[in-house]
Amino acid sequence: MNISSSRPLLAPAGHHLLRLGDYSLMLHRRSMVVALILSLLLATVATWILAAGDDALTPSKALLAAFGQGEALQVFLIQELRMPRLIAGLLSGAALGAAGCLLQTLARNRLATPGVIGIDNGATAFAVASIVAVPTSLAPSALALSGAASAAILTFALAAGGGARGYRFIVVGIAIGALFGALTNLMLARSDMDAANAAYPWTVGSLNARPADSVLLLGIGLAAGLPLAKLLVNALSLMRFSDNVAIGLGVRLQRMRLLTLALCVWLTALAVAVVGPVGLIALAAPEMARHLCNRHGVPVLNAALSGALMMILADWLGRTLLAPIEIPVGIIAAVVGGPYLLWILLRQAPRSST
Amino acid sequence: MLAARLSVPQALSYTAVCLLLLCVASLLLGAGDIGILPSLQALLGGSDEDARFIVFELRWVRTELALLVGLALGAAGVLLQAVTRNPLAEPGLLGVSAGASFAVVLAINLGASAASLHLGVAMLGSLVGCVLVLLVTRMRGVGDDPVRLVLAGAAFSSMLGALSSLLLLWDQRTADEMRFWVIGALAGRPLDTLDWSLPGLLGGLLMALLVVRPLAALALGERVASGLGHHPQLTRLGTLLAVAILVGTATAAAGPIAFIGLIVPYIARRLVGSDIRRTLGLSMLLGPCVLLLADVISRLLVRPYELPVGVVTAFVGAPILIAVVRNHRLPTL
Repeated sequence: MNISSSRPLLAPAGHHLLRLGDYSLMLHRRSMVVALILSLLLATVATWILAAGDDALTPSKALLAAFGQGEALQVFLIQELRMPRLIAGLLSGAALGAAGCLLQTLARNRLATPGVIGIDNGATAFAVASIVAVPTSLAPSALALSGAASAAILTFALAAGGGARGYRFIVVGIAIGALFGALTNLMLARSDMDAANAAYPWTVGSLNARPADSVLLLGIGLAAGLPLAKLLVNALSLMRFSDNVAIGLGVRLQRMRLLTLALCVWLTALAVAVVGPVGLIALAAPEMARHLCNRHGVPVLNAALSGALMMILADWLGRTLLAPIEIPVGIIAAVVGGPYLLWILLRQAPRSST
Repeated sequence: MLAARLSVPQALSYTAVCLLLLCVASLLLGAGDIGILPSLQALLGGSDEDARFIVFELRWVRTELALLVGLALGAAGVLLQAVTRNPLAEPGLLGVSAGASFAVVLAINLGASAASLHLGVAMLGSLVGCVLVLLVTRMRGVGDDPVRLVLAGAAFSSMLGALSSLLLLWDQRTADEMRFWVIGALAGRPLDTLDWSLPGLLGGLLMALLVVRPLAALALGERVASGLGHHPQLTRLGTLLAVAILVGTATAAAGPIAFIGLIVPYIARRLVGSDIRRTLGLSMLLGPCVLLLADVISRLLVRPYELPVGVVTAFVGAPILIAVVRNHRLPTL
């Protein structure tokens, strides 16, 4: 055995090791396959949704029109009407899925998603304030960010005694969410009819005609946030152990927690500024990713992909189910996701996990 | 168990004085442009027609309604906390109110309109909610964990809320009427609301009085209760029936108003300790107090508009929820 192979850095079973000089990256084989399949599925479903609708096109025509080829009417239909909505759905779903995955890992609790602990409501309250009180074009995203941050800080600070563990933390979050929900109602009650109508999509969660600025910001935020989340994953997967073990393995716990929470708030706020509180995506997407990957890791990327898939499917359901009436995507998510949340909650019961 | 700070008669008399003051305040203060003095003159027999109309027709009915709904919700909160042995249990948080209002929305959507029909439907809906609560608390692991019950309730009510909005979208004609069933309000209810909700309230209270002693025994444990000759399961069912009647009545009268059933038992326990035989009576006075206070605030906060009263109760109730959860040794009742 010569020296070069004496440090072979063999990858564990089921993993691939990519090496570039001194840097190496370990990839879980099944996660990669799942990511690939999810991406393909996402592309197919997206194309199909682009093509389907009142004025149905063939998928190939729809794709061509998306790149500006074909009849002018079709190009307008696809590029101006269907594409923005699809993109908004894809981006917000991905952001919510990733944020849910991060927070679940941070709190070591599958039920701790941004929606449940009140971050969604905080972002919504402040986004509504941007319509009702300070109407400017960029404001919803910026204000949603501050709202989400204040809700998260309040929840974590008030739950400080019990740490981020257990269910107490979640009930504090529910209370904070109720406070911010009341704040939203307060502002809606004060405002005139037009402003209240403009703010309505945020109160239920809808993808209909969302402002392009917010979508653009969300895209930028997601492009910055997802790689960062991927970088955090290694430390995060150690945080599943007890605090002492994680510290012993070299995780700077406080800093990691803060960073993860900040990232989660960032992604959630930008997504809520676009789509409103569709919190259950953040619950279901990581769950789906975890089932598919079949591994006790932190599947941020796959959670984002599943979130995007769920969001555009839910939106499509909402548009077609009772056509011509359009059901906001938030309502679809709540009706479908609510029983699922209950199921998780009650199925866990026999184990004394907390 | 919390030690009693006040004797029951003391607490009752203080609360009664508060209630009287709040009733007068509720008659004198409002979002309208009638000031306090004209209102006072009208109340004392002045001749200003406008002021008389506002005080005696609008505010009087509203105050009576607040008394009735507050009483029902306060008593229901105490009963629900006792039967689930959970200081976080609250009809609004556990989805009982949501069940009632969803049932009414569904009934309206299917074509029902008579107010008295709403009462029955609301009771049925809250009964379903209550039975679900009972089932969940009987599940191993969930019943011992006060917090998980709340989470299940939150999930249940948000689901029903979404279903209600779905029905609302479906049928735009009744959207305005139905928005009331989603938010809840004391203002602008039809005049006959009191007539048909009073029997519901009395029935619920009668039921509550029947189960007070068995419930107090049940607080000592199932075996002790059986040994004292009570039937635990029957007691639970009876209590939940009382809660369903009370919450159904309150919801049919004023829509879902959350957090009253959390605030009232919390204060009552602080005042006289945690024995239900002491808290139930007090909560019947405290409930109207809290609701009247919230209602008066909701009129004054954003004049000349009015807030839905649920917004005010949420602002008061959510901090109390946090306070109860933060309490390290969560008291099991």
